[in-house]
Amino acid sequence: MPASWIVIGISVAYLAASLVVGMWPGRKASGTAAGFVAGDRSLGLVVMYFITGATIFSSFAFLGGPGWAFKKGAAAFYILGYGTLGLVPFYFLGPRAARLGRKYGFVSQAEMIAQRYGMRSIAGVMAVISVAAFIPYLGLQIKGAGYVLFAVTRGELPVWLGGALVYGVVLIYVLRSGVLGVGWTNTFQGVFMMLLAWGLGLYLPYKLYGGVQPMFEQIAAAKPEHLLAPGLTSAGGLWNWGEYSTAVLVSILGFSVWPHLFMKAFTAKDERTLRRTVVLYPTFQVFLVPLFLIGFAGVNFGSAPEAADQILPHMLMNMQIPAVLVGLFCAGALAASMSSGDAMVHAAASIAVRDGGVRALGWKLDDHEQRKWIRVAVVVVLLGAYLLTVFYRGDLVSLLLWAYGPVGQFFPVVVATLYWKRATGAGVLAGLLAGGAMTVLFTIQPGLRPWPLHAGIYGVAINVILLVVVSMMTSGAICTQDSDYLDVADTPS
Amino acid sequence: MTLRNALFGLYALLCLGAMTWPGYATFGNRIEPYVLGLPFSFFWVVAWVVATFLVLVIYHRTGERDS
Repeated sequence: MPASWIVIGISVAYLAASLVVGMWPGRKASGTAAGFVAGDRSLGLVVMYFITGATIFSSFAFLGGPGWAFKKGAAAFYILGYGTLGLVPFYFLGPRAARLGRKYGFVSQAEMIAQRYGMRSIAGVMAVISVAAFIPYLGLQIKGAGYVLFAVTRGELPVWLGGALVYGVVLIYVLRSGVLGVGWTNTFQGVFMMLLAWGLGLYLPYKLYGGVQPMFEQIAAAKPEHLLAPGLTSAGGLWNWGEYSTAVLVSILGFSVWPHLFMKAFTAKDERTLRRTVVLYPTFQVFLVPLFLIGFAGVNFGSAPEAADQILPHMLMNMQIPAVLVGLFCAGALAASMSSGDAMVHAAASIAVRDGGVRALGWKLDDHEQRKWIRVAVVVVLLGAYLLTVFYRGDLVSLLLWAYGPVGQFFPVVVATLYWKRATGAGVLAGLLAGGAMTVLFTIQPGLRPWPLHAGIYGVAINVILLVVVSMMTSGAICTQDSDYLDVADTPS
Repeated sequence: MTLRNALFGLYALLCLGAMTWPGYATFGNRIEPYVLGLPFSFFWVVAWVVATFLVLVIYHRTGERDS
């Protein structure tokens, strides 16, 4: 079938281009762990902008965003809502973290926190939570990439082979170039993704309904509840304002402390670059608008896919569309998957070795050995996530929910560590464990919640209370290292 | 706390309130009028993204010269 060869050809050409872009920067970074993990703290504004934006915009945004708009209507606006303020805390936290990183040589979030309290167990707990969150998350990205290739080749390329092909490319450039490979490919992939989303987001409503407004008028006539917040749940009932609002709030709090994003604070060349990245971020966020338009175009499409996330490939495969366009879409979806997946592999491996091995377990590794072991960990993490994708028969999303809760609890911990003089290690650890456990409990058993609010909000509440109370009770333990530490965070370099 | 920080904090709270209950539910949540082809409930959120960008630019530009 020639059309299918065009699609595969474009995808393969795209993968090859990513590989070339990702291999290029390898010779510039130093052969140290700081070179591999933090790019020698040298990244400028353009790369920082795309590394932040493209890392956030994963398969979830590219396939899940349209899926939400298609299935849950206005509920999707919550994603746009939390992203607006989500990176703002980083404007303040990022530069403080970067100053500490420069002074003490940190390249990850957990070692920055563990250093202040002199407690190895904190680094250990955070490393376990982070890696446990990244592996299913990464598995979802691999599955997303594999599925897209499967759909556009009409099943000629099985999911396991497509996933292996795409993530083989990721493995090569992450191993060779570390964070610089991630950064430069994300720049390339980010531009590609944005162009494609706007192209398809405007093309589909025009082609199917004669314009964006006519499309919405048709939806308003048939299903007005689809366009009114808080939208619908996945079961099809109306969502409530309590959960919508707290979901926005919890996501804002958790956004900037995701380890693979937060550790980019250590890669920027200066504080000004870091701040400007945050200022520019809403311009990346606007890119959700065309993705939602794609999803809304599916509401009155006629036929529906098996799963809501497949609405975009479903429409493309069932319309008379040139094969070149389908191929470009395919490459865009791969870009979304790869640009988040590469940052996750890189972060999970760095965290496992730096925080887990060196900090928590006390391995004695010199700089070159660390870099070597991080590379080994890259292979192990990627292989683990891949095997999970191929052999795990359960639902990856529910695995991910387990892990999401505890990661969201990093926010109070990071704020207290960077700002609050009286915070103690015991307080931080107590808040982290209790907050994480409570979020997991209410995620699995939503019926136990006293009010219908997002599970994470209960976790954050108990986390903050315990952090403050236990810190007050153990405040005799303040050591001199603390005051130095906060002075470094306070003083602009 | 400086006036600049206080105003910025105020904006952040305002924005949060406008994108969730009660602000969104009260002022933003209707289909008409359409703006730029989008139903008002959609445009409302997009408008706050744009406003946040402008506020961040102003906040950043008026900041102390710290680098």
